[in-house]
Amino acid sequence: MNAEQIRLEEARVGKVSWKKWGPYLSERQWGTVREDYSEGGDAWNYFGHDQARSRAYRWGEDGLAGISDDQQNLCFALALWNGKDPILKERLFGLTNSESNHGEDVKEYYFYLDSTPTHSYMKYLYKYPQAAYPYSRLVETSRVRGRKEMEYELLDTGVFNENRYFDVFVEYAKASPEDILIQFSIHNRGPEPAELHLLPTLWFRNQWSWHGYSARPVLRQMAGAGGVKSSDAKLGERYLYCEGAANFLFTENETNMQRIFGVPNRTPYVKDGINNAVVHGQEGAVNPEKKGTKVAAHYKLSVKPGECRVVRLRLTDVVPAGAAAGNGEQAGQFGGGFEAVLDARRSEADEFYKGMTPATSNADEANVFRQALAGMLWSKQFYHYDVDKWLEERGSDPFKAVRKAAPRNEHWHHMYNGDVISMPDKWEYPWYAAWDLAFHVVALTLVDVDFGKQQLKLMLRERYMHPNGQIPAYEWNFGDVNPPVHAWSTIFTYWLEKGQKGEGDRDWLKSNFQKLLLNFTWWVNRKDRSGRNVFEGGFLGLDNIGVFDRSAPLPTGGYLEQADGTAWMALFCENMLEISAELALTDPDYADMALKFVEHFFWIASSMAQVGDDTGMWDEEDGFFYDVLRLPNGQAQRLKVRSMVGLLPLCAATVFNGEVLTKYPELMERARNFLEARPEVRAAIHDPVKTGVAGRRLASILDEPKLRRVLAKMLDENEFLSPYGLRSLSHYHADHPYVFQTGGQEFRVSYLPAESDTGMFGGNSNWRGPIWMPVNLLIIRALLQYYAYYGDEFIVECPTGSGNKMNLYQVAEEIGRRLTRIFLRDKDGRRPVYGGAEKFQRDPHWRDCILFYEYFHGDNGAGLGASHQTGWTGVIARIMHVFATISPAALLEGGKKQYAKSSASAEPSGRKDPSGKGAAA
Amino acid sequence: MAMDEPILKNKIHRTAGEERIRRQQEMTIANRRLVALFVERSSRQWVVRDPEGNFWLIPAVEDGWGHRQPFQLTDEAELEPVPGHYIYMLDLPF
Repeated sequence: MNAEQIRLEEARVGKVSWKKWGPYLSERQWGTVREDYSEGGDAWNYFGHDQARSRAYRWGEDGLAGISDDQQNLCFALALWNGKDPILKERLFGLTNSESNHGEDVKEYYFYLDSTPTHSYMKYLYKYPQAAYPYSRLVETSRVRGRKEMEYELLDTGVFNENRYFDVFVEYAKASPEDILIQFSIHNRGPEPAELHLLPTLWFRNQWSWHGYSARPVLRQMAGAGGVKSSDAKLGERYLYCEGAANFLFTENETNMQRIFGVPNRTPYVKDGINNAVVHGQEGAVNPEKKGTKVAAHYKLSVKPGECRVVRLRLTDVVPAGAAAGNGEQAGQFGGGFEAVLDARRSEADEFYKGMTPATSNADEANVFRQALAGMLWSKQFYHYDVDKWLEERGSDPFKAVRKAAPRNEHWHHMYNGDVISMPDKWEYPWYAAWDLAFHVVALTLVDVDFGKQQLKLMLRERYMHPNGQIPAYEWNFGDVNPPVHAWSTIFTYWLEKGQKGEGDRDWLKSNFQKLLLNFTWWVNRKDRSGRNVFEGGFLGLDNIGVFDRSAPLPTGGYLEQADGTAWMALFCENMLEISAELALTDPDYADMALKFVEHFFWIASSMAQVGDDTGMWDEEDGFFYDVLRLPNGQAQRLKVRSMVGLLPLCAATVFNGEVLTKYPELMERARNFLEARPEVRAAIHDPVKTGVAGRRLASILDEPKLRRVLAKMLDENEFLSPYGLRSLSHYHADHPYVFQTGGQEFRVSYLPAESDTGMFGGNSNWRGPIWMPVNLLIIRALLQYYAYYGDEFIVECPTGSGNKMNLYQVAEEIGRRLTRIFLRDKDGRRPVYGGAEKFQRDPHWRDCILFYEYFHGDNGAGLGASHQTGWTGVIARIMHVFATISPAALLEGGKKQYAKSSASAEPSGRKDPSGKGAAA
Repeated sequence: MAMDEPILKNKIHRTAGEERIRRQQEMTIANRRLVALFVERSSRQWVVRDPEGNFWLIPAVEDGWGHRQPFQLTDEAELEPVPGHYIYMLDLPF
């Protein structure tokens, strides 16, 4: 094992708390639901960016390139001032939902360059303009832009012209779990010398003001040691050593009451004290006694053009007397040992990633792969939200007879969240989202299976999952309905670990299964209105994909039978079947559950083709699936929008090797009896009795004819297949928009490859054309399942009409290749993800820094939406890994579990390494 | 979304308008009886509504509650709500 793998193992067995400190600060705490105490629930405007420097947060902290302990008691982050800005740069700025023409958007340039899974080494880059940051211009220009215009970005303001900016690299390296080396490397990229105020800041999250904690922590300057001592009843003592001559500015992490509420401050030292002292020269704003709960080490640097200045700090539990060595106390902290540790952690990070990056990767691919995982790891955040307490503080205590109505989450008062969770994007979406998280785990388990397992189990804990079995969606509305992908992520993670270790964690699987059963039953009881195994669910994560807002009352009245909702449930059945079949191999009690899910799958899968006869979800003429609108007068019609909604039934496909049937032959007999008694069910789906390659069985909604017809559309470049993956809406609707008229209103769905042109669902997501990574991943998964069953005999044209024939492995690989292409340099040296942003395409200080956007232009692959959503876009690393690791032959021979085994072995199965240097881990 | 709301037992059937008025009345009553914290911008002081619905001016001194003064709510008063968690800072006895 390499050094990082050893650390992971030590953390796993609880021997060493390597993960205690990490990048757990949010990039934005303002504008969140947790911090919102407005009457109407206007989170964005109630606590905005302008208040953030002055108002103590209630629930969590944010900061620039920051770290904290895993309970966010003590925080450390970077702050900067170029001498021209109106305020310190302590946090990332962006537009709120109503300020921007395409929904909330961060207006900064920052990059998650590297991280190991234990955070033993991390690297972050922030690009800081030397001119005054154009806060007002960004707001005012964006305000007048319409939805058909592009967003106004920071580069557009000209503030980076002539390269008058600083590249600020932040590196963290752990000498031990409690001894963190910090290095800032500041490069002046401009043509002239420039001044920079560097203010590394240490502070305590304010828990003493509102949690009733009597013990107030304190930070004090240490005499002679060039640093600060922190004392906290929970954390104990820590020391921040700061190299060189820094002036320490102390204040309190307390709300500036005067500024925020207009009442006198109880203390002269408040949250924005350091800002006021540095920017406005208010010396009285910081404590001359050199103590407080927030401190910044103030460095004034003059950086020549092309020069790099380095500033080093150390946050540690090593006491000053123990640290001193050599010439003076500081030498002990910053002597040769500092550089040696930093170099060692960098090397170990290289070694770790070399060991698990596909050996067939070129340098560009390896860079994309590594940064995708860095982004996943940097996107961990401490998320704290006690809903009961929050409701109480709003006057909406659910247990009081007299209370105000809360704007949201009134029925989720059981929830207590206080954990490190993987966020979709720590600025744009600094809150967990249940179905996103399932995809995050698929990426994260490339580097840290334990963390992935912990995340999946967390959402099923009693302080997350509703007592009624619903998994919380996200803080804007925990009761919203997310696609049920948790079971899929669970079984996938189980197989990975089993492949790596030779044995799966059956206790973890069993525990998750019990809770997933509650969730499955919630779905069945709540979302199958008619009891006919056709499901609703609302927008189900696909925002504006439908003709109508699928989460609102329909303008026609009636309801929708959703092809995606029903397909999700079919997949959920397959996943639960897979889990119970695995558990049944050692525990016969699960054999009956396996049969339950076999039968339930048959009911749901068959309903997609069968229920409703000529108004069922399957359209025989088009060869595609659609939502069905059921009107109050009993009439029904299919809403013929060719979208991802109609492709998701293809995703409900899982191949089984029949182990449990061998162990419990009576199960096969009972399943066969079930099918023979219901020939109409068997006729509506792929025949589960029929075996494929190596005797495998396939649970699939689509039989072979339907599969071919859907694939014909999916792989048609005039429909779904773009040069950069599968579109969320068929290109067919560019010239043939779907139009629905009702009650004098017209509802139109047209192909929109870029941003949304409506404010539906905030206007910052668009499922009417762009490419979304998670659903592409699920389609790739399904194609590999189909391949493991059908083998090389199942050939299709890909692209449709090209004459080029492929088996389904090759089709999956082709889709994967197109997705990866988004991030890689093309033959002209351009990355499609950056579209027309020439700075990103050409400048050597920008072009190899990769941003993983939320979704991508349906025609040219340009990044859209949230810019740091490594969240689920990070699965690109898993996609790259799959096709570099397992060959078609190995998949056919070993089945779907072969990938997990191959991931664990030194040599990828059947894949040759042209370099001859050895394979993935 | 509406289908997820819990169904109240013995719910009395009302028209939409009657239901709206009823909820507004309930909220008004609730607002009057809840402990709440405000700032009065013109005088720059804290104002607290206690569990009995009485209003008090709280000076920004040690033991502010002990030095409270009755506050007369008038039409001219500009009370701005302050989040409930700030109540801890004032060491109120409820």
